[in-house]
Formats: sequence, structure tokens, C-alpha cells
Amino acid sequence: MNKCPKHPLEKVMESRIAIIDGAMGTTIRTYGMTEADIRGTRFADAKKGLLNNGDLFSLTQPKMICDIHRRFLEAGADIIETNTFGATSIAQSEFFVDDPRERGGRKDPEFYQKVIEDKFLGDLAFDINEQSARQCREWADHVSNDTSRQRFVAGALGPLTVSLSNSPDADDPGFRVVTFDQVKTAYAQEVRGLIAGGVDLLLVETIFDSLNAKAALVAIREVLDEQGKQIPIMISAAVGRGGETMISAQTTEAFWNAVKHVKPLSVGLNCSLGPDLMYPFLEELAEKADVAVSSYPNAGLPNPLSETGFDFGPKDMAGYLGDFARAGLINIAGGCCGNTPEHIAAIAKALEGQPPRKFGASAEEFASQVNAGSRA
Amino acid sequence: MTQETAESSLVSFRPLRLSGSQPFTQQQNVYIMIGERTNVAGSPKFARLIKDGKYEDAVRIARQQIENGANVLDVCMDEGMIDGVAAMTRFLQLMASEPEVAKVPVMIDSSKWSVIEAGLKCLQGKGIVNSISLKEGEETFRNHAATILKYGAAVVVMAFDEQGQAASYEDKIRVCERAYKILVDEVGFPPEDIIFDPNILTVATGMDEHNNYAVDYINACRWIKANLPYAKVSGGVSNISFSFRGNDVVREAIHSAFLYHAISAGMDMGIVNAGMLEVYEEIEPELKQLVEDVLLNRRADATERLVEYGETLKGKDKAAVEKKTEEWRNGTVEERLTHALVKGIDTYIEADAEEARQKLGRPLAVIEGPLMDGMGVVGDLFGAGKMFLPQVVKSARVMKKAVAKLTPYMEAEKEARAAAGEVVKAQGKILLATVKGDVHDIGKNIVGVVLACNNYDVIDMGVMVPCEKILERAKAEKADIIGLSGLITPSLDEMVHVAREMERQGFKLPLLIGGATTSRAHTAVKIAPHYSEPVVHIVDASRAVPVTTSLLSDESRTTFVEQHRGEYEAIRKAHAAPKQQTVSLEEARRRRTPIAWREEDIPAPSFTGVRVLEDFPLAKLREFIDWSPFFHAWGLKGVYPRILEHETQGEQARQLFKEGNAMLDQIIEKKLITARGVYGLFTARAVGDDVELYADEKREKVIGRFHFLRQQANKEGNEPCRSLADFIAPKEYGLQDHIGTFAVTSGIGLKELTDSYRAKHDDYNAIMAEALADRLAEAFAECLHKCVRNEWGYGQSENLSTEELIHEKYRGIRPAPGYPACPDHTEKGEIWRLLDATTNAGIVLTESFAMWPGSSISGLYFAHPQSRYFSLGKIERDQVEDYSRRKGWTTAEVERWLGPNLNYDPGR
Repeated sequence: MNKCPKHPLEKVMESRIAIIDGAMGTTIRTYGMTEADIRGTRFADAKKGLLNNGDLFSLTQPKMICDIHRRFLEAGADIIETNTFGATSIAQSEFFVDDPRERGGRKDPEFYQKVIEDKFLGDLAFDINEQSARQCREWADHVSNDTSRQRFVAGALGPLTVSLSNSPDADDPGFRVVTFDQVKTAYAQEVRGLIAGGVDLLLVETIFDSLNAKAALVAIREVLDEQGKQIPIMISAAVGRGGETMISAQTTEAFWNAVKHVKPLSVGLNCSLGPDLMYPFLEELAEKADVAVSSYPNAGLPNPLSETGFDFGPKDMAGYLGDFARAGLINIAGGCCGNTPEHIAAIAKALEGQPPRKFGASAEEFASQVNAGSRA
Repeated sequence: MTQETAESSLVSFRPLRLSGSQPFTQQQNVYIMIGERTNVAGSPKFARLIKDGKYEDAVRIARQQIENGANVLDVCMDEGMIDGVAAMTRFLQLMASEPEVAKVPVMIDSSKWSVIEAGLKCLQGKGIVNSISLKEGEETFRNHAATILKYGAAVVVMAFDEQGQAASYEDKIRVCERAYKILVDEVGFPPEDIIFDPNILTVATGMDEHNNYAVDYINACRWIKANLPYAKVSGGVSNISFSFRGNDVVREAIHSAFLYHAISAGMDMGIVNAGMLEVYEEIEPELKQLVEDVLLNRRADATERLVEYGETLKGKDKAAVEKKTEEWRNGTVEERLTHALVKGIDTYIEADAEEARQKLGRPLAVIEGPLMDGMGVVGDLFGAGKMFLPQVVKSARVMKKAVAKLTPYMEAEKEARAAAGEVVKAQGKILLATVKGDVHDIGKNIVGVVLACNNYDVIDMGVMVPCEKILERAKAEKADIIGLSGLITPSLDEMVHVAREMERQGFKLPLLIGGATTSRAHTAVKIAPHYSEPVVHIVDASRAVPVTTSLLSDESRTTFVEQHRGEYEAIRKAHAAPKQQTVSLEEARRRRTPIAWREEDIPAPSFTGVRVLEDFPLAKLREFIDWSPFFHAWGLKGVYPRILEHETQGEQARQLFKEGNAMLDQIIEKKLITARGVYGLFTARAVGDDVELYADEKREKVIGRFHFLRQQANKEGNEPCRSLADFIAPKEYGLQDHIGTFAVTSGIGLKELTDSYRAKHDDYNAIMAEALADRLAEAFAECLHKCVRNEWGYGQSENLSTEELIHEKYRGIRPAPGYPACPDHTEKGEIWRLLDATTNAGIVLTESFAMWPGSSISGLYFAHPQSRYFSLGKIERDQVEDYSRRKGWTTAEVERWLGPNLNYDPGR
């Protein structure tokens, strides 16, 4: 197997810490959109409330979404994420399909088989992904040209609303509401849409359940093989206080062992309980992983008293990510929930001139020198 | 020792890395134990449970395997009457829901591809597929391998090809090499994830062509290791002895001798029933010779001779065999204890322990004598690869049983000493744990027993304990010392990690380091520098007590710590680690915090001088309590108030909250404890890095002086080198600035209260009272700071909620001496002098400048809007000399108090 030529983003990350954008949801809320705004004409007749289905804005309010992408790019983001956190048939079914539990039924593989075969949901998922990817592509290219600095579009694959590792049935711990193949199919639909829209990267993020993530990674491999394409993969988990994936309780190193085989461009932690509680696990990951390491935490925990609804302001986040950088832990930095373009601008500024973490072959050499030194 | 030498001899080792919910990393030259009881072909019991649909009971077998030391669980459902896909899926999903079982990586064992694929869809971690082969040709092989890689698992490759099973050495290596090339060059499979099974075939069948099978396998192991980089070798061991079915003595000897030779040749793992293993060293010499003649094909009549010998074993009646095996009972009691430990026999252990106690006089003498000697033998055999992990686990269990037998005598001894008027109180609480990723704890258990025998209260957290669990527990239990243990090399890094975290979280406890690969040099050079408190290496159990005694004694601690620091400093000097980049004190002062001094940032307080708060109303403090740490103190993670609604902890949290508040009601109503405080505001100016306090607004008479230190790290960008002195207006500006200071406690009466609970053996309420007192002290500090901000004027408009106060979203800071911005504890002396806190608040400073009673807080107030918390970090000799001049101390005294902050070796 020949070594692939280096991806341009990889080159960026060897010289400086790359910046990824902030929270779509948090920023959308500052635009004061209403239920009518999100519905537009396309979803005017939907039975359930849609306001929390933020991905739909890419279809109904593209101007606002593009404005947010532009603001993140202008704040200094090298990578922007598509607005597709919930853009799978499975996640969209929550908003468009009657919940069988309301009629005494239950959600089970039979229910989800109908969901993934549903034409409306499948088309909707594809549309959101393709449209959002196109919007990101357009603005990333635009700002790239204006600033003579290449910007990248990461197609975001979120964690879904179902778990392959947990049973919701207290009497049967072996029960699962959905199967691996169903999850994989839903992710494959998403990946096809993202690729059609022109993404540079595929980002499996906010991983609460490592088995869901595995299904996403298998889906990506299969779609890339089917289309004969090579698109770099980025992976990012959300961890709790013990460094475990929040639903499937897998610890950081165990998680890295389980996903290393896809040779991702980067692996990292996002979301979680905020930057302060992420530190030790990021340190562990930075030590174990031989690829780039990313960190884009929440701006702390939700805090209804604060202006953005989260604990930390731009300065705080810049301080925390600056600490990560000084400790040599990261190659990619940004923010998750609670981080507005102002946060990203502050982070980008704080990391200017900070050396990135060494990774790959150079890091191995470095480590062997250190070891040799300590033996002498 | 063996591990270190092995590591340096082979450069090209890439460990097999797997995971369940926890990671598993292969250790070089350490055999991987695969649990084989969750295999329907290997365990009739397991097969019956699966057929009867009793999956939960079947999961229990998985759990037992892990308790017995399995690193990986082999799961096999290949049986005619079982629907393989359904059974594999259901069993793995149930395993995933059982946290203790889910930790471990799984080996999906099936000859049916559909079952393997079903299994892969259930693993969140990285498992092993067992197995694929070239039996059905290259294309199928390639497809299967690519699919396994897509799911991210390691793979066992059987030495089969289109012609069938590779039996001879030549066929084995030919097939393995061919498979390796396809996997690595065509499929892109990571070579370290390829595990060859070059077929362990039955020897001593009577057919001459089978005589070399063991040798062929062993040689194939050696060839694979030498020629197929990073590949691993496995095998099904019990096959080898199949011709001796029914003769377990011979079979066990064969398994053990075979493993011994195969592992030496590079075998990494295998499937073997741990109950069918003799200890290699313990094989009866004649039998061993005969077995090895067969295995190594050393003489033509080897099989006949072994069969013949086997027949004699069989021929004698059972009692005779048993009698022979019971011969060890004729040894001395010390020999018998050793034998029982090495062989893992618990039949007579209690009687023998009792006999030894009578012989040696004291229970402790039995533990420290024959039992520890026996475990020493076990440790040596294990280290030499002559004993295997499950056997070691069995030995440890026997040890535990012996200790349990002796414990009542030790208790009685203790009581007798107490009755005789000796003071027998717990010497201190010591928390022991084997660090994350490591399962070895025999040494640690012995240390635990020895400490407990010496009156220490020992909390043993067991093995594989993650850093955050250790630290949480240490906080919750208020441990006096933490002891970390580990045997494998990666544990060393984990220990460094724990030390770093202790520093980061501001721990104040000594840290002990022990275990086979640890050393004094490593501890001094790699661990101790990450933690400001003493980090001491304990070479063996016998050294533990003198060290803990010194560390916890008021009289000898300082001397011990000083001497110890000196020794470690000398070791570090020998290693001469590069130091942190710093700037000169002169340059650091040029880089002071840039503050544009303006009149409007310097509010005038409504009074200056000292105010005393006698018996501050507890009900008022209650409003300022930050409850989250209260739950943390009880081991419940989460943030108040959300924790009350938490799915699993909510109920317990609500209960605690209710009981805590009920006790708080009582404390307030009956005035069970008293809160007292004192604070003062003074006119002040910064003079260099000191702050001068004056008697009045005329600013002529100096009544006090705080000495501050300045950061000297050469930071990138334009980050300043901060000092707390920067936040007070310098003399030359002539501004009317002030500084404040305070000391508060909510611990008056606390000891009496907790003593009364403890007298009733009510530890729960005693701890509850302490936890509440701590909360009240913090609340007091917060509440007083708020009052002071109001009296200072600038706080009147802040209007913050309790939650915002907890997050310190206000202007100004209240740093405390002994904390990162001002690590010199002795500055508390000046606070006490200014406030007379001993009289005014009832808080005493000990000789090491700790506050008594606990649940006390002191600090300084800075009001400038740009004042902020920071950590001093490392300082250089020039500042230490300057500081000692300012304080009127010798540099040696300053170096002693600021040891952790020195960026140089003071001994030089």
C-alpha cells in the first residue's frame, strides 16, 4: 500500500493549530427565529413543532445559515461544519413520524425499518445534507478567495437519537430498539448527501455511543468504496467525568483502539462537560493517538443566567484552549454548544503563533529521542 | 527486572491493542489469557445454559472468567442445535449491558462467516475474529479480511489453505507467509493485528509421523516471530494431549511443559483451561523428563515410555495417587504454606496458618514470614514465565484466606494492647490502588495487610483503578496518604499522570509508589517533580511502615521530608533534567501586569481597621452554600440542583440532601457549631513586590507588610509575569489604595460534635457534620467577601445570584497564602498578626502554618478590576535571594518553604 499524499489540512496542522467553527444551534438562537420561519412553505403542514429541528433552517432559511457560516469563517475558522447534526432519517423521524409509544406501542427494529425505508424521510435527509454542504462549500470557497487561505468543509455526522449499546427496556438488557444495519443505512444516506454537496471531510462527532460511531464509520467506508472516492475522516467523542463515552461508557484509550483502523485525519473530544473537565482525557488521547488531535468543547455547562446560555464567554474559552495548546495537546481547536462566532474569534486569536502538537512520524521520532535520553 | 531486559532486547515489538469499554494492551513477554468457558464447544455447562435460553446465567460465566484473570473472552456458539447468529447477537448484547463484563475485549469464535459478521456488529470496542483461513481460496480470504478491517478487529488466521491443514513445519510457515503477504500487502491489514494459529496437533498418538508435531509448532512460532514482523501466534493447547484423555495428571503436565516451550519461542496467547495446568516447576521430575522427551521428540521410544508411566499412575488405585500428591503434607509448616500458595491449594491453609501462628507466636510473624516468602516464590515463578496469571490469582486467593484466618487474632492482640493501657488509635488512613491498566496487586495487598496490622486504616481500591476514582475516593475518605502500585511498565506513566492530577487538583497528601517496575530513580526523576507534596518510593512491604509513620508524625515529618527531598534532589541532579525557561527577576519585573492606574478604579472602603464577627448567624451562611461539593464529598458526581433529578444518583442525592438539611436544621437550631470570623481593611501601597500597610490615610506609619512572589516563566506572546503586588497601586502613583484580609471558621465545636457521633459508632453522621462544616466555611468566605465588596463600595451594584457567586463572577479576588498565586504559607503569619485571628476568631496556626480547627479559611482581598488568580510556577535563585532579603530570612529557609517552586537545585 502506497502512502497517500498529505491532505492540505494535514499540512496546515503541522505548522499551526487549525480552527474549527462553533455552535450552530446557539448562534441560530440569537437570530430570534420562529416556528413559522423554520417551517417556510415546505414544512407548513407538519404536525409536530419543528423549531428545535435546526437542520431544517438550511432548507428554509438559507440566508441566515449562510450568514452564520460566513461569520465563523471571518472569525478565523479553517474548518466549518455542515448544519447536519440530526440530518438522518432516524433523527428526523422524531419530528415527522408519530411516536408508537403514545399508542402503547414501542420503538423497535420493526419501527426503524419503516423509518429507513420511508421515502419522505430519506429524501429529506439527503436534501438537508446536500444543501447544507453546498452552502458551506460556497462560503468556504468565497472566504478562501477573499483571504487567500484555504478553508475546509466538514460534513457533520451526529450521534442519532437511538443507541446500539443500551437497552431502554429495564426488563431486558439485551434488547435494542434499532439494529446495526439500520443505523448504518441511515448514515450511508447522510454520507451520500454530504458528498453530493461537495464536502472536503467527513466528521463523525459528539460520539456518545461508540457502536453508533462504528456503524457510521462502516457506512462511510462502504459509500466511499461504492463511489471510488477518498475523503478524510475526522472522529470526535463526547465524554463524561471519567473520560467515558457518555452512553456506551467506553474510556478514551479503549475508544481510540476501536477506531484507529480507519486511519482518521484527526481524533478528538468535543461537546462533553466543557473544557475544564475535558483536560485529563484530552491529555490521554494526545498521548495515545498518532494522528492529529482535536478539541472543540462546550462553553461549559448550560447556564440559563448567562447571555449565551452557557457558563463560559469568549475570553474563558480562549483561556482554556490556550492552556490545551501550551500543554501541546491539540492540532485543531474550536467550540461546541454555547460557542458563538465571538468565541471562535477569541480562540483563534489566543492560539495565534502557538505551536501545534507534534504527531505522526515526527512525534514518534521525538518520543524515541526522549526515551533514549532518559535511559542514558 | 525480567520485563526491562526483555524490552531492550527486542526492538520491534508492537503490542496487540484491543478494547472492550476498557483498553487492553499486550505486554511484551506476558502471555495473554483467553477465557474459554464461554465457548459451547469447550464448556458443556455454558452450552446447556445457551440451549435452555438462560443467557443471564451464561453472562455470569463470562464474569467468572474475568475474575479468574482472563484478558480476552472467547465466545463461541458453534453447535448444531443453536442458531449461531441469534445466539451470538443476544449474548454479546447482554455482555455489553453488564459493565464488569463489557470491560474486556471479545474474541468472536466461529467457523461460520455469518456468525462472525453478526458478532462484529455488536462490539463497540476492538475484538478479535477467530478465525479465517485460505481454505476457500484467496478471494474469500481477502473479502473476509477486508470486512474485518472495516469493522476494526484483529484476526486469527488458521494455517489452512486450499489443500487443507498445514501439519508439517514447512507447510505451516508456507501458508502463514502467504496469508501474511495477502493481508499486509493487498488488504492493508495492520500486521500487529494478525494472529497466526499454526495448528497445535496431537502428539503421542502412536503414529511416527505425529511425533514431531509439538516441535513443528514451536519452530513455526519461532519462524513467524523472526520473519513476519509484528505478527502474533496463538493456538488451542488442549489438542496437544488428546491421546491422554482420562489421565489428567499427564495432560496437565503436557500442557504446562508445552506452553513453557512455546511461549519461549514466541507464542503470545492460547486457548487453555486454566484448571488443566500444572505449574512447570512443580511437575514431578521423572514425569517432566518423559513429557519433554515426547514434546521435543527427543527419543524414538518417548511415547511408549510416557504411556507406560501414565499407566502406572492410572494403574495404582486412586488413593495411592492421592497419597503421592499429599506427600507435601509431611513438610514443615513453613514449607506447607509455601507449597499451598504456589499450587493454589486452599484445603489446609487455615489449619496450617493456625499451626504457624502457634509456632511463631504472633499472627503478624506468619504473614511477614512464611506467607510473604511463599508469595515471593509465586512472584519469581511468574516473573520467569513458569507460572501463569490464573495460577497467580489462585495463589492470591489462598493468601487472602490465610490472612482472614489470622485477622481475628490480630484484632484480639490489638484489643489486649488497648486494655493494657496502650493507646491504640488508627495511625492514619491510607488509600491503596493498583493503577489503571494494571491487574497486579499481590505486593499491594501485602503492603495493605502489613499497614493494617500496624493500626493503619487501609482502604484498598483493588486493581485497574482509574486516576479520577482514586482521587475522588481519597477526597471522600479524607485519606492521609495515597499509595499506588503497578507491575507493568505502562503503569509508570499512569503514576506520573496521577501525580500530575493531584497537583492540578491541589492535593496535599503524600504519595507512595511501589511495585515491581517502579524504582527510586524513576520516582525521583519522573513522578516526584509533578507533585509538590512528598512522593516516596517504597521498595518493599517492610519499608512501608517506617515511611508512613514518619510522614504522619508531627515530630519527625519535617525532618523526614527534608531528608527525602534532599535525596531525591540528588538523584534528579544526576539525571539533570532540562529546566523551565525563565527570565531574570529584573526582566520579570519589567513584564509586570500592565495596569493603567486610574482614580476611578480605586474605590475607598467605608472603614479601615479590623472587624470581628462573633457567632455569625449560621442561617445566613446557609443561603451561600455551594451544594455541589457536598455531593462530591459523598462520592456523587454531578452539579446541584440537577443532581437531584439524576437518573441513577438522583434518589441517593435527594436522600443525602434531605438528611444533610435535617442535620443543618439541628446544627442551626441547637447551635451545635459556631462560626467566627475576623477581617480588616487597610490603606496600602505596593513597594516593589511587597505591599505596605499603613496605620491611617496619612500613609506614614507602616503597620504591616505582605511579601509577594513574581512569575518568572518565559511565556510566549505578551503574557505578563504576574505578582499579587501588581494589583495594588504602586507608591509612586500616590493613589489611595487598600488591601483587605480575613480569617473565618465554622469549625468551632465541630470536633465535639463528630466525637459524640463517633462514640456512638455513627461514622455516617460524623462525616455528614464535617461535610456540612466545610460547606459552611466556604459559604462564610463567600458571604464575607460579598459584604466586603459592599463596604468597599464597588460591590453594591453587582446583584449576583448564589450560582454566579459560586462561579466567582464578581470583581476582585481573595487569594490565600499556600495557594498557587502565593504559595508561601508563612504569609499567613502576617494575617494573624494584623487580625489577631487566634483571639478574634479562635483559629490557631500550627507550626507548619495550617489552620486549626479545620473548616477554616483565610486570605487577602484585592479590589482592582484587573486583579485575577494565577499560578506562580517556577522561580529562580535571584528571586529567592531577593525574597529572603525582603523577609529577613536565610535563602535556605526560603528554599525549604518554596521547594516545589524552585527551578533550580538548591543543594548545589
